[in-house]
Amino acid sequence: MNELITEVKQLIIETLELEDIEPADISDEEPLFIDGLGLDSIDALELGVAIKKAYNVKIDGDSEDSKKHFYSVKSLCQFIEQNK
Amino acid sequence: MKFGIEKCVAWYGNIRTTEDWQLWAKGDLNYSPEDDLPPLKQIPAMQRRRLSPFAKLSLHCILESLGDNASNIPCVFSSRHGDLHKTAKLIEDVATKNDLSPTHFGLSVHNAVAGLYSIFANNKQPMTAISAGEDSLMMAIVDAYAKLESQYLDKILVVYTDQIVPEQYSQYVSNEEQTLSVAFILTKYQPDTGIQLTFEKQTEHSDEKLTFQPLDFLRFFHGEYKEFDIQSKRYQWRISRRLF
Repeated sequence: MNELITEVKQLIIETLELEDIEPADISDEEPLFIDGLGLDSIDALELGVAIKKAYNVKIDGDSEDSKKHFYSVKSLCQFIEQNK
Repeated sequence: MKFGIEKCVAWYGNIRTTEDWQLWAKGDLNYSPEDDLPPLKQIPAMQRRRLSPFAKLSLHCILESLGDNASNIPCVFSSRHGDLHKTAKLIEDVATKNDLSPTHFGLSVHNAVAGLYSIFANNKQPMTAISAGEDSLMMAIVDAYAKLESQYLDKILVVYTDQIVPEQYSQYVSNEEQTLSVAFILTKYQPDTGIQLTFEKQTEHSDEKLTFQPLDFLRFFHGEYKEFDIQSKRYQWRISRRLF
């Protein structure tokens, strides 16, 4: 799981071109969107495509569940673990 | 049509400041291509990360030209090819059946830079984005002039940006095309500093080598020419002004 967490953080940084941010700067449990890391809805789409490509896991764009999966790095990793 | 031009900022390889352009127009400074891009440190990192080279060149010229006026001026954006490097990559992804990047897709429209600028500067004035082949910059001036006169504006921003096209397209365009961005403010005509522009349909089909219009325009603007003719496949343009 820890390995996956670092990997997903790296994926977030590369996919979303977050200059000046290191994996260690991203919290495992804080929100990725708005308050925490400050990502927006376009980032959500971009990240969805990248995760599908990297782990062959498809995240449904519109459901309430995907909001939960996208909440933090940890929730995202749990979702990937369960579905890949 | 008669108008004034203020705060002309242009980025062309190593030629970037007004002094550079004046030296270049006199033939005292030679162009050399440079790969670095404007840093745009005034734009927050979370917004800046989505800017392509095309967008960075445009926004640099826009923000330098406008200074404190950035949030309240109508604008005309122009480009012959738009952000073709981005579009070409998307088309390639379609052809190879790869998933498209939503960000790149969203920013590949012709008015993407207008939108990015509008969000950053919180400028809600009317903006248009035009493309008119090799006449793109000159037609942007015509469009801006029409808006200035018909809407009784004091000033309007004109922006033009193009890059050397991706390799797979180079056989379709003139070798004269360069990576260049320019922004300036079109104002009401003042007899002392004003510029006059006329154009008519190209009558003769000449095989004469066509030039790159934005560079012709900048050579006229920064040089000591009283008048300057620019030929394109479709139009004959003449720009002139009083010289003292």
